[in-house]
Amino acid sequence: MESTSEPHLSVRPILPVHVVGIAATEFVTEHDAMLDELVFDVVYRALREAGLRKQDLGLSVSASMDVLDGRSISSGLTNAASGGYLSDAFRVEGDAGVAIVSAAEAIASGDVEVAVAVGVHNPETTGDAMRRGRFLEQVSNLAFDPHFDRPVGLTANTAYGLHAARVLAVSRMRAEGFAALAASEISRSAGLDRSVRRRGATAQDVLDSVPVAWPLHELMLPAHSAGAVAVVLASPARAGRCVGRDAKLTGLGHSTGGYTWTGEWLADPGAATRRATRAALATSGASARDVALAEVSAPTPHLHQPLVDALGIDANVTVNPSGGMRSNFPGLANGGLRLLEVVERIGELPSGSIALSHSLDTITGGVAEDATVIAVEAA
Amino acid sequence: MTSPTASQAGEAIIRRSGSDGVAASPSRPATQEVNWNLRYDIHLGATWSRFMDGLRQRKLLANSCASCSRVFVPPQAYCESCFEPTAEWLELPAEGTLEVYTVAWHGFTGGPTPPYAIGGIRLDGASTLLMHHVVGVDFDSESDPKDALPFGTRVRAVWAEERVGHVLDISHFEPAS
Amino acid sequence: MPYRAVVSGVGLTEATSPRKQTLSSIELCQLAVRRALEHSGDAPDRIDAIVTGNIDGFEGTVLGAKHLTRLLGIGSTAPVVVVNTGGTTGGNLMQVAARMVRSGTHRVVLCLGGPTFFGATDLQSAINTNSPMIIEQPLGMGAYHMGAFAACAYQDRFGLTPEDLAAVVVADHAKAARNPYAHLRNTISADEVLSARPLSAPLTQAMVCPVSTSAVAMVVADADTVRSERASGSVGRATRPALIKAMGMSADPYLGGGKGDFARMENLENLARRVYARADIRNPAEDFDTVELFAPYAHMQPMQLEALGFASPGGGVELIRSGATDPEGRLPVNMSGGPKCTNAGVAGELAPYAYAALQVMGDAPAEIQVAGADRTLAHGTGGTFFQFENLAVFESLTRSN
Repeated sequence: MESTSEPHLSVRPILPVHVVGIAATEFVTEHDAMLDELVFDVVYRALREAGLRKQDLGLSVSASMDVLDGRSISSGLTNAASGGYLSDAFRVEGDAGVAIVSAAEAIASGDVEVAVAVGVHNPETTGDAMRRGRFLEQVSNLAFDPHFDRPVGLTANTAYGLHAARVLAVSRMRAEGFAALAASEISRSAGLDRSVRRRGATAQDVLDSVPVAWPLHELMLPAHSAGAVAVVLASPARAGRCVGRDAKLTGLGHSTGGYTWTGEWLADPGAATRRATRAALATSGASARDVALAEVSAPTPHLHQPLVDALGIDANVTVNPSGGMRSNFPGLANGGLRLLEVVERIGELPSGSIALSHSLDTITGGVAEDATVIAVEAA
Repeated sequence: MTSPTASQAGEAIIRRSGSDGVAASPSRPATQEVNWNLRYDIHLGATWSRFMDGLRQRKLLANSCASCSRVFVPPQAYCESCFEPTAEWLELPAEGTLEVYTVAWHGFTGGPTPPYAIGGIRLDGASTLLMHHVVGVDFDSESDPKDALPFGTRVRAVWAEERVGHVLDISHFEPAS
Repeated sequence: MPYRAVVSGVGLTEATSPRKQTLSSIELCQLAVRRALEHSGDAPDRIDAIVTGNIDGFEGTVLGAKHLTRLLGIGSTAPVVVVNTGGTTGGNLMQVAARMVRSGTHRVVLCLGGPTFFGATDLQSAINTNSPMIIEQPLGMGAYHMGAFAACAYQDRFGLTPEDLAAVVVADHAKAARNPYAHLRNTISADEVLSARPLSAPLTQAMVCPVSTSAVAMVVADADTVRSERASGSVGRATRPALIKAMGMSADPYLGGGKGDFARMENLENLARRVYARADIRNPAEDFDTVELFAPYAHMQPMQLEALGFASPGGGVELIRSGATDPEGRLPVNMSGGPKCTNAGVAGELAPYAYAALQVMGDAPAEIQVAGADRTLAHGTGGTFFQFENLAVFESLTRSN
C-alpha cells in the first residue's frame, strides 16, 4: 500500500499572489495574553501596513491546534480576531505554512481579492522553558497513533533522535560536525532582533548543552518561542492599490510525509519537502537554478543537508541568514516567520532570481510531517 | 494499490489478536480506553484579567468600542465588527433583563448537577448577553418553566461569599423584585 | 488561470450507533473512500491531496489524520490539509478543496469526514470543552444546552409548540426511513417524540440528533479534466458531475452572548444573501430542486428555512406542516433524513454537501433521489452556539452552461 515512487504531478501554472502586509508579535518564551489578543494584534497591524481594513478581507485562514490552545474549536475564539466576523474564515489544524498556501489558493482561484493567513502559538501552560517543553512533548505523544505508538512514548524529540542516531550510524558524519552546524546558526543570528537565542555558541557548547534524546542536545533542537504572525495577501490588481510590502508568491507546494511504518522519515527525511518543492516550482514555472535564497526549516542539524538537497539548491544559494529554526521557532506560526524572513530580504536578490520559504510542523517529529514550500519573487 | 475491504481489514486485526500471536478463533472487535489528561494554565490576557479582578470586588466591568457604540460584557480586547481595539472601561449595574434561558434536565460528566437553568442576561447598558445560572425556575418537568420565570424578567447578580476572580464569583442571577 | 471545480464522486457508509458499529474509524473511512473512488471512476493514485477534519477535543486523538490518512489505500504521499472549525469542519472541507482545484495547484482532491464522536464516553462533556473557557464553560453547557437557547427564544417569539417540534421530527424520520445510509430509520409518532425524556427545555431526546458512526468521502475535481476524461472514455463511469456554483462561510462572535437575537438566524441570513447573489438565485423557493440542511435539533430546520428565504419569520413550521418539504412537496428538504437522524461528527457535517451533490449527479439512493434535480443547496453549521455557518450551491454543468 505504500508507494516510494514519486507521485504524478498534476499542477498547472497559477496566477501570482502578492504579499502586501506582514506583522509579527514579539517572540518570547511565553506571552501573557489571550490567543485572540495575539491574533488581533498581528492581523490589525498587517492590514494597516497594507492600507487595508477588515472589510477588505475576502477570507481569513488561521493556523493553530486545539490541544495547544487548551480548548476544542479554539478557532471559535480566534476567528473574529482573524477578521472572520460575518465573513469567510476557517482554521487549519497545523502549521501556518499550510494556512498561507490555502489563503493564496483562494486568491489564485479568482474567488477573493484580499486574504489573511495567521498562525498563533502560545501553548496554554505556564512556567519555565523546561516545563513548557515537557508540555509540548506530552501533546506530541498524543498526536501519535493511540494504540501502537503513544503507549511506547514516541514524541517529536524521540522521533528526531531516532533519525539523528540513524544518521550517525550509517554516515561518516560525526557528532562534532552537527554540533558545529548548530553553533554556526546560533552564532550567526545571535544579534538579530527576532532571534530568541541571544548568545553565540561553540560546537562544544552545543555538545555540553542538556542531552534531550540521544544523540540530540538542547542546542541542536529548535529555539522554541511563542508568538503570532499574520500575512496579508492580495491579487495583483488589488496589490497595485495597496501600500506596504510588495513581494509575489509565484509557487505553492505542500506535502505530507508517510507515517512511522513506511520508514520514509528515517531513510529519506527530505521526501515530503522534495515533493512540495516540485509542486512549488511547477506552479511558478521557475527552476531550482533560479533560487538565490532559502529559509530552510531543519529541526535538527542532522536534517539540514537532506532538506537542502530536497529543495534542490546548490552551494551558491544563501541559506538561513536568519539562523533558521535554531534561532527562532514559534511552533505553528513558523510558516509565517519563514516567509517574513524571506520577504524582508527579497529586495537584495539579483533580478530574475527567486527565494524559497520552507516550513515544517514538528508535531510528530519527522513522521507524517507537513512540509510547505513557497516560491517568492520581488514584485 | 487497492484498498483492503473493510471486512478484510477486520479479519487482519482478528488474526493477530490470539494469545499465541496467530489466532485460531475469531474474537469480537475490541475497544481500548484512550484518554487525555492535560492540565492547562489559560492565559487570560489583560482584558479578561481585569474583568476577573472586578468580579472579586463585586464589580461588573465592561468595555466599549471607540468607533461604534457597542458595550461588551464580558469585555473584549477588540470590536469584531469595527476591527478596532476597544478603549473605554465602565462599570455596569449588576442588574438586567433575562432574555432567554434553558433548563438542563440532564448534565454531563464533570458538569453541574442537573437540573439547572442557564440564561442569557442583558445587563443594563450592555450590547452583549452575559451567560449565567438563573434561579426562580420551577423544576417540575410537567409544567412550562416560563410560567414561574417568564422571559424578560428583571434579574440581578447574587455574589458568591468567597470570590477568587472566576465567573462563578457571581453565584447566579435571581429575579430583581 | 482560475479553473472550475465539480464534485465527481461521493462515497457514504451505512450508519449505526457506536455500540452496534463493528468497523473501526479507519475501516469506515477506507470504505467511504473506496466507494467515492468507485463512484468517480478514479484510480487511487489520481488523488492529488486530501482535505479532512479533526476536532481533537472530541476524538481522543490529536491530529488523528496524521496516521489515518496514510491508511486509506491511496498511498502515503498525498498532502493532507486538516481543517478544524468544530461543528462546521465537515461543511468547510469541500470549500477548501474547491479552492485547491480552482487555483490550479491540484486537479483531484479527496474530502474525507470520519466518525468524530466514535468513542467519546460522554459526548456532552467533550462538547463542553468548546464552550467559551473561563466565561461560559463553567456554567455547564453541552451541545444541546447551547441548541436549546435558540429553541427557547424562537418558541417565545413565535409561539412554537412542542407539537410543532414533534411535527419536524416525524417528517425527518419518515425521510430517513427511506435512506439506506441513515442511522435512525424508524418512523416515529408525535406522541412518542413528546413523551421522550426531556433533555434541555424545550427539547426532548427525540428532538435531538443521535450519536452515529459513519464516514463520508467526496471527490472534488477540475471540471475540464473530468469532462475530457468522460469524453475520451479513459474513466470508466459516466457520472454527471455536480458543478460547485457558489459557496461561502460566515461567523458570529465567540461568546454565545455576542449573538444578540437567539430567535433569528441572522448570521445565516447574511450568508444566504451573499451566496445567492453569486449563484444568481433570486427566488430560492423556486430556484432549488432540493435542499440539505444541517439541522440536528428539531427547532433548527424551521429557523433555517426562514433564514434561507424559504419561509417568512416564524413561518418555517407551517412550511414543514404543509407538506411542501416532504419528498413529493414543491421543495423537498433533507431527503436524507438530515443530521436529526444521522450525525457522525465531521462525517455528518460533510453529509449535506454529499447528498446535495448526489442529487444533482442523479446518483442519490433511488428511494431519496429527487427526479430531475439540477440545482441544490447544501448547508452546514456548528461551533459554540452554532457560531459558524456555511453554504454551497450545486448545479449540473448543463444547467450552468
